[in-house]
Amino acid sequence: MIQTIIKRDGRVVGYNEEKIKAAIRKAMLTTDLGEDEALIQRIVDRIGMTGKERMTVEQIQDAVELALMKSPRKEVARKYIAYRNQRSIARRAKTRDLFMEIIAAKNNDVTRENANMNTDSPAGMMMKFASETTKPFVDDYLLSDEARDAVRHNYLHIHDKDYYPTKSLTCVQHPLDRILEYGFIAGHGESRPAKRIETASIIGCISLETAQNEMHGGQAIPAFDFYLAPFVRSSFIEEVKNLEQVTGSDLSHLYNVEIEDYVKKPLEGLEGEQRLLQHAINRTTARVHQAMEAFIHNMNTIHSRGGNQVVFSSINYGTDTSAEGRCIIRELLHSTYEGVGNGATAIFPIQIWKKKRGVNYLPEDKNYDLYQLACKVTARRFFPNFVNLDATFNQHEKWDANDPKRYLYEVATMGCRTRVFENRYGEKTSVGRGNLSFSTINIVRIAIELMSIQDKQERIERFFERLDEVLDITARQLNDRYEFQKTALAKQFPLLMSRLWNGSEKLGPNDTIESVINQGTLGIGFIGLAECLVALTGKHHGEDAASQALGLRIVSHMRSRANEYSEKFGHNYSVLATPAEGLSGRFTRADRKSFGVIPGVTDRDYYTNSNHVPVYYHCSPRHKAQIEAPYHELTRGGHIFYVEIDGDATHNPQAISDIVDLIDKYNIGYGSVNHNRNRCMECGYEDATENLEKCPKCGGTNIDRLQRITGYLVGTTDRWNSAKLAELRDRVVHK
Amino acid sequence: MTLNVLQIVPGTSVDGPGLRTSIYLAGCTHRCPGCHNPASWDFGGGTVYDVDELADIVISHEFNVTLTGGDPLQTPDVDALVHLLRRLKAAGLNVWAYTGYTLDEALKIQRIRPVLELIDTLVDGPYVEALRDPELHFRGSSNQQIIDLHKSLDTK
Repeated sequence: MIQTIIKRDGRVVGYNEEKIKAAIRKAMLTTDLGEDEALIQRIVDRIGMTGKERMTVEQIQDAVELALMKSPRKEVARKYIAYRNQRSIARRAKTRDLFMEIIAAKNNDVTRENANMNTDSPAGMMMKFASETTKPFVDDYLLSDEARDAVRHNYLHIHDKDYYPTKSLTCVQHPLDRILEYGFIAGHGESRPAKRIETASIIGCISLETAQNEMHGGQAIPAFDFYLAPFVRSSFIEEVKNLEQVTGSDLSHLYNVEIEDYVKKPLEGLEGEQRLLQHAINRTTARVHQAMEAFIHNMNTIHSRGGNQVVFSSINYGTDTSAEGRCIIRELLHSTYEGVGNGATAIFPIQIWKKKRGVNYLPEDKNYDLYQLACKVTARRFFPNFVNLDATFNQHEKWDANDPKRYLYEVATMGCRTRVFENRYGEKTSVGRGNLSFSTINIVRIAIELMSIQDKQERIERFFERLDEVLDITARQLNDRYEFQKTALAKQFPLLMSRLWNGSEKLGPNDTIESVINQGTLGIGFIGLAECLVALTGKHHGEDAASQALGLRIVSHMRSRANEYSEKFGHNYSVLATPAEGLSGRFTRADRKSFGVIPGVTDRDYYTNSNHVPVYYHCSPRHKAQIEAPYHELTRGGHIFYVEIDGDATHNPQAISDIVDLIDKYNIGYGSVNHNRNRCMECGYEDATENLEKCPKCGGTNIDRLQRITGYLVGTTDRWNSAKLAELRDRVVHK
Repeated sequence: MTLNVLQIVPGTSVDGPGLRTSIYLAGCTHRCPGCHNPASWDFGGGTVYDVDELADIVISHEFNVTLTGGDPLQTPDVDALVHLLRRLKAAGLNVWAYTGYTLDEALKIQRIRPVLELIDTLVDGPYVEALRDPELHFRGSSNQQIIDLHKSLDTK
């Protein structure tokens, strides 16, 4: 006797014979003879009595088919079978429509979820098919009921859900020294330790590329200058050895000679050993320049993930004050300034200048000259961005200017903004760690649902109650995913779990990664603070002091809850100011469908990025800095501050350093400057005119208009989704 | 004392080095062909600000300052402008100014001498459309010059 039914999505429900009756009746009504209630009851009774205790929907339908075939009404059986087939196709139709759109290489928000991805290529399409079919699998089999409901009802977004079944982690800051010192095995090649700058630069690329295939997020090098500096000296020694061969003399005393700076100088007027020394320096500097150029070029051309995506790479640098480290920084900046190919701006790696007082920020600092150069480069190439090592929350008690490994105590960031530093389960550092997964809460929706409450105080108190409910679900969902991720075996991530992740060197290939991954972070993100505040108070935090106070209360609350979850579940939870590329339109569309157009809330095609002042709001850069700064301390999972400046930044690099001064003054963690940069692809003419269509010099119309999306650059807006395009149109300069 | 102000723009990057607060003073008689803002020619245009109030606002933005307009050197109430500049200088701010006069013309106008003495850098000369060059830094046409007034006033 049937007791329970297993539905198609795996859920088990009580047996209800009315559903079977309705289906047979429907089939009968499409025949000439019409319905026969007595026959229906006979069939249902028989199936109900003879069936097994637990049956699937398909098994029951098979039984109905058989019973109808044996009955006098065989024409009903035919209709019933036809109806079953139709339903089955209809269930697949949604997938079919999606597949057809991907096949047609159409531009829509599915194929443009990530502007860095080429979904038109065969590998890109293949991945998109997989991605779109994996997501429902995750919903049905891997999420808890409460998490699935929160996602379905648009309160929560689980990032990289398509990677969920693979147990992959998000991102890692590469301890490149381990790779360079010990070599590694990737694919079918075994790499020996690097000996010279060219090899070191290439190995850096391969490390980023290999790990990108083992994770679902970005890859970063936390101390590019420190890691590569030793290979400047070894390349210099090579050059001296070449000279020993040429001259037939012993120059070994020059191998470790003190060098003030590796800067090219003419040899005219130099004699004897001085001449040889300068020649070796010139040769070394040229090789470093070439190696940096190759690094940038490779990071823009090497594709990962089946060939559809360039590596989402970032490099942090600026604090190595050795002559060799300074050489790396200088040549990297020069090469970035020059551009790739015919002088186009390099999209990757995202470059991040580690700004630190006493090292590179004050005029008397050793690397101040390179900081000035960095501002000049940013004015033309958008990079480097600036991470503020002096922000109170970015300082480290163990940092010591004389420690050669002090970079271990310098915060480094993923270019997109993800920040990993504090650590309850190991040393506080950015190096050799990363984010495990993150999920974003739609705080706008929670606020909209309470707009009908007239009393403002009550409305706000109810908001915190609802927020707590969603926060609890989110924390449990992240914990569930962690419990699933930790069962992965080290061999699933050959490079990551043998060299890169802290502690991974003690894992065997068949060990689970459980013992090492708790050093990673679980991110609780949020989007649309501005719209949330408008829904609650009528004004956003950029325009009203009371709204700002409430905004800070909301994010502070999220942070203290995150700390409680860290205690409760035993992980590193942190609050993330979500970059939200694909998400910025999805939440908004769904909320508008549910609640209609609400001015200042759902009337645009996107929700404002995390805690930002809305892009359409006119205010000065200082005001924007003052409003957004306090959120940086609260969002330890990552944050970014942007200023859009008017005019041509290459004419005014001091405007860039003035913005870094704002970052310094207001205790901002990470920031960068947006501006217009056009480049005529025909003649190379560059300017900062808004919406330039035609080159004023050669009349060419192939104009590369560079823009920044959620932290990284794209040379073309063709792959931007509709929400991000709408946001771009609304962006106003801050003045 | 009051001044007619068309606009205060805090944090611009186009009117001199770094981020600056630009003050657009109303009124100009040069009438350069191709002027991007003919509405600024009217001396009675804009909003009337008490000078001290204006100084407070501009100082509160904490950026260096650029006077533009209109032509700030044609401001009818020179005393008011001098008072504003003294307040800005006392707050430690660097001041740029744009004028349609050439430096030599400006130096010959006795009544604006106290204004010039409080300005650090002058961008001089009318906008000449035929000499327009978007690659110039902080200037519209190539006849205009960026002049360090401290040096110029010392020698003249």
